[in-house]
Amino acid sequence: MTPPDTLFDTLRPWLSALAKRRARLWLGALLMALTLFSALGLLAISGWFITATGITGLLLAAGVAASLEVYVPGGAIRFFAVSRTVTRYVERLYNHDTVLRLLSDLRTQLFGVLAGLDSRTLAKRRASDWLNRLTADIDTLDSLYLRLLAPPAVALVAILLLSGGVAIFVPRAGALLAAVLILGWLWLTLGQARLGMAASERHVHQLEALRSRAIEQLQGLAELEAYGSLADHRARLDEIEMRLQHDQRTLGRLSALGNALEGWLVSAATLMTLWFAAQAWQAGTVSGPVMVMLVMAVLAMNEALGALPASFTWLGATKGAAARLNQLNAQQMPTNTEVSQPVKNAHTLTLENVHVHYPGALQPALTSLSLTLNPGERLAITGASGSGKSTLAALVSRQLSPTSGHITLGGVPLAQWPEDTLRQRVAVLTQQTELLDDSLAANLRLANPEADDAALWRVLKNVDLAEWANTLPQGLKTRVGEGGRQLSGGQARRVALARLFLRDPDLVLLDEPFAGVDELTAQHLSNFMDSWLAGRSVIYLVHGLNKNAPLPPRITHAVALAD
Amino acid sequence: MAALSANSVTSAKSDKSGNSAKQLLNQLAREEQRRFRLAVASGLLAGAFTWVQMGLFAWCVTALIVDSQPLRELSPLFALWLLILPLRGLLTYLQETLSQQASLAIRKRLRQRLLHHMIALGPVRLSGYHSASLSYQLVEQVEALDGYFAHFRVQLWLATLLPLGVFVITLRQDWLAALFLALAAPMIPLFMALVGMGAERLNRDQFAAVARLSGHFIDRVRSLTTLQLFGQTAQARESVWAASEGYRTRNMRTLRLAFLSSAVLEFFAAVAIAVVAIYIGFGLLGYIEYGPSDELTLFSGLFILLLAPEFFQPLRSLAQHYHDRAAALGAADSLVNLLAEPPPTTRTGHTPPVPEAPNTLIALQNARVSHPERGVVLGPVTLSLARGETVILTGASGSGKSTLLQLLAGFVDPGEGSRLVASDVRFAWMDQRPLLIQGTLAENLRLAAPKASDEALHQALAHADLSDLVSGLPHGVETSISERGVGLSGGQAQRLALARVFLSQAPLVLLDEPTASLDEHTERAVMQGLEALKREGRTLVIATHHPALKALADRHWHIEHGDLYSAQGQEVRDDPA
Repeated sequence: MTPPDTLFDTLRPWLSALAKRRARLWLGALLMALTLFSALGLLAISGWFITATGITGLLLAAGVAASLEVYVPGGAIRFFAVSRTVTRYVERLYNHDTVLRLLSDLRTQLFGVLAGLDSRTLAKRRASDWLNRLTADIDTLDSLYLRLLAPPAVALVAILLLSGGVAIFVPRAGALLAAVLILGWLWLTLGQARLGMAASERHVHQLEALRSRAIEQLQGLAELEAYGSLADHRARLDEIEMRLQHDQRTLGRLSALGNALEGWLVSAATLMTLWFAAQAWQAGTVSGPVMVMLVMAVLAMNEALGALPASFTWLGATKGAAARLNQLNAQQMPTNTEVSQPVKNAHTLTLENVHVHYPGALQPALTSLSLTLNPGERLAITGASGSGKSTLAALVSRQLSPTSGHITLGGVPLAQWPEDTLRQRVAVLTQQTELLDDSLAANLRLANPEADDAALWRVLKNVDLAEWANTLPQGLKTRVGEGGRQLSGGQARRVALARLFLRDPDLVLLDEPFAGVDELTAQHLSNFMDSWLAGRSVIYLVHGLNKNAPLPPRITHAVALAD
Repeated sequence: MAALSANSVTSAKSDKSGNSAKQLLNQLAREEQRRFRLAVASGLLAGAFTWVQMGLFAWCVTALIVDSQPLRELSPLFALWLLILPLRGLLTYLQETLSQQASLAIRKRLRQRLLHHMIALGPVRLSGYHSASLSYQLVEQVEALDGYFAHFRVQLWLATLLPLGVFVITLRQDWLAALFLALAAPMIPLFMALVGMGAERLNRDQFAAVARLSGHFIDRVRSLTTLQLFGQTAQARESVWAASEGYRTRNMRTLRLAFLSSAVLEFFAAVAIAVVAIYIGFGLLGYIEYGPSDELTLFSGLFILLLAPEFFQPLRSLAQHYHDRAAALGAADSLVNLLAEPPPTTRTGHTPPVPEAPNTLIALQNARVSHPERGVVLGPVTLSLARGETVILTGASGSGKSTLLQLLAGFVDPGEGSRLVASDVRFAWMDQRPLLIQGTLAENLRLAAPKASDEALHQALAHADLSDLVSGLPHGVETSISERGVGLSGGQAQRLALARVFLSQAPLVLLDEPTASLDEHTERAVMQGLEALKREGRTLVIATHHPALKALADRHWHIEHGDLYSAQGQEVRDDPA
């Protein structure tokens, strides 16, 4: 169960996700290399040209008949000047397109993973800060290629080609250059990554700790102020901030160190190349212009190595993001075991000695619960919030597996029901109304994608919303806003009910069906609901039976859950 | 059309607040002026060392080729060069770390200031904000200033001064070559504007689009339970894909233009280098018969060529950090708005007057609470509360019950009236959403009394009917309730808050709907707890709907539309009590 923690193991699933776009990635890296070579070419040829013209000029001045072909190098200089700009532009555009494609890939892939989580994990994950971190983590990973894969690869190729090129003219300089630059490259990538790993991996957690302490301080301000413990709590906040800043300082220093070393490395390599090239020139094995050209080319390596230290110092952040997303994979709901017996209908339900204890919870959520629901019965389960009603709903709709005990639906173990059939036969109205930020019609059609407009109007009429919907200028196309915010709580509840009426299930689970609905409307809803529920087995989850709130229709018997 | 006009309104508004955002950034930077100056100085010096290196390079080449000096005689030059390298490295290191230190200090100070301001605003004013968005401002938006202070600000100076230095050096070598650079110079503000506009627009568009896309994704994730129940997860996955791809195609259109602006900068830089190189080459060959080109030597030619990229390099670095500026302005804009909200006057270093009657714990005289949008929400109210009294406060939701409690607690201003408090009255506060902090049960309890003994904790737990639960836990009060109370039900959290009240020993207890949304068992436990508090002689004010709590009360206040009545139907402000 423990997630893999070596760097490669952690990144592997995401590297293989990138590999699906292999062709684009290679092409993007090639464009990056072309940009680099244009910059290198521009400097090298210019250096050659000026030295060559300088020497020729001296000869001419001394009265020696000399000539220099100027049009080819002049053309090359102009060519590299233009190609540097063009390749850079094309490269940026192309690689950003790639990154956005990767983003689509990763989001979609992750959504698939999330869709396989059980209801408990999802409920914990509903908090918006978790969702924000999730999207931030994906964003971190989609730039994996652009920051951590392509640049070091291109730099390494450039080092090899440059050393090779220098070696053609001055073998000793080429060999030494390769040795120095490869060692430097290793330091700037792996070395920096190693030094920064722990601090950059911690960084997200420290930000998160700071955020949750800040939320405590702000939400609990009344109590903290009353008890005079503001300063105490503030001290906790300050301590977290101090640790955060300590790590940020470490990382900042490391990347400054990396940048300084990078500058030093390229300059030292330049100096070294000049020394050996000058020896070769004095030995007569290379010409003066070539000597300058080689040195200038080495100088241009700054462009290839400059961005590496900062990116690699922060490698831990990428690793952390990948590790968190990997954890989601480990929390997948077990897929249903295949059917051993044919399922008929879902009119009967039995729970036998069912026990649920969430990991980390102080107390079990449900203890030895047994109950039987026969065809056509309407069972009311009562209990305060926290007594396990929602746990029960999640169990019956197989969004949660019991810690122990057995559940059978229609005589067949629940775990053996095929997913599609289960969803058709069992309908649930969840306690929390979830509406998509989409049109009214789209929200209703979640329940039945084939439903025509007439059917939608019919169910809206059933929940007393048809008149209201008629007054909307956009009618069924009206958007309901984020989380249904454009609707009142009661309207949202009724949309959720209307959605339910579009289905034809055997077993219906209604969690606080009239929450947020005024009494008069509840009465009206109750009447229609009564007729729609005829012939189906029903479980109502309600707060209590003796409260003033309207009760759902025709309860046959009741079970109370203790807190 | 509607969208267009709305857009222009927001841009007009953001222009105005954009200025104060800039002011905030400048004000913050002033506090770290010394470090910034040192960082700029280090950057300039590092740049100068780069020029020296280039000069040494050109010198060596000239000495070798033109003067045919043996390499060995040049070793002092090489040694000097070797010496310069670590110096230059040290200077760039200093530049980076100094501006980073400045950024850290600025962010720390700003965070303190924000937190201080938020606390001064008080729990009531803060409730107008979403706590998640406040913590976002406190954490993410303060962090968003990092790039601006750690990179952009210093780079802006370097991008102005370093090219100037290169220009002056080039001018001394060859004025015509310098002229080529100078011709590019007027283009520099244009580059900057182009790059800036591109980056700012890119940032704005990008931000809006990313927010929309994340919104779509988050919306689907938030509804996953429903999607699972309706068997619609596969379709939703398709829609996530479609939204992402739609975003990509739209975004690429923007990027094509946005990248063009930095391409222009690159283009001018490359062309200027090429022109300088060709000019020098032809000049050295003697092909150019006018201007200073006949004075060009291999040294000056090479030196100018080597310096030309350095003319543009600081600008290119600046362009890379331009998005930092946009991000910082965006964050500062939102922080300025928060900081501009004035805190209630009573919450800023004000000691309330003391009531005359010795038995009076707290009193209000003609106190009035008004709300900028809703007008007067409570009062004028005149009342006094004697030691040991238990008062029940009733009224329809929205009538002003909570406001009266907040007024008693001092979380809001009494308007033109006054709030009188016996000296050193401490109070305990409990509402429907008790504070749970990350930590152990004991840490949560000790919020009310940091020095309470373990025995006192257990006594308080017993009063709140939590003993059974806690004694059943393997680690007892040292059990941690991490992740915002995961592990505790709503009723248990409420009882934990009650235990805190017991632990606090505060003489005045203010309770806002202490039994709402509890099951009958917990409700009973809480009620017994309140009775025990009353027996201890504490003064209780309980806002509630619950009929059973009335039995506890010595007095009964009722609020209707912001006016306070005693149970007899007489207005309390006329009540001599």
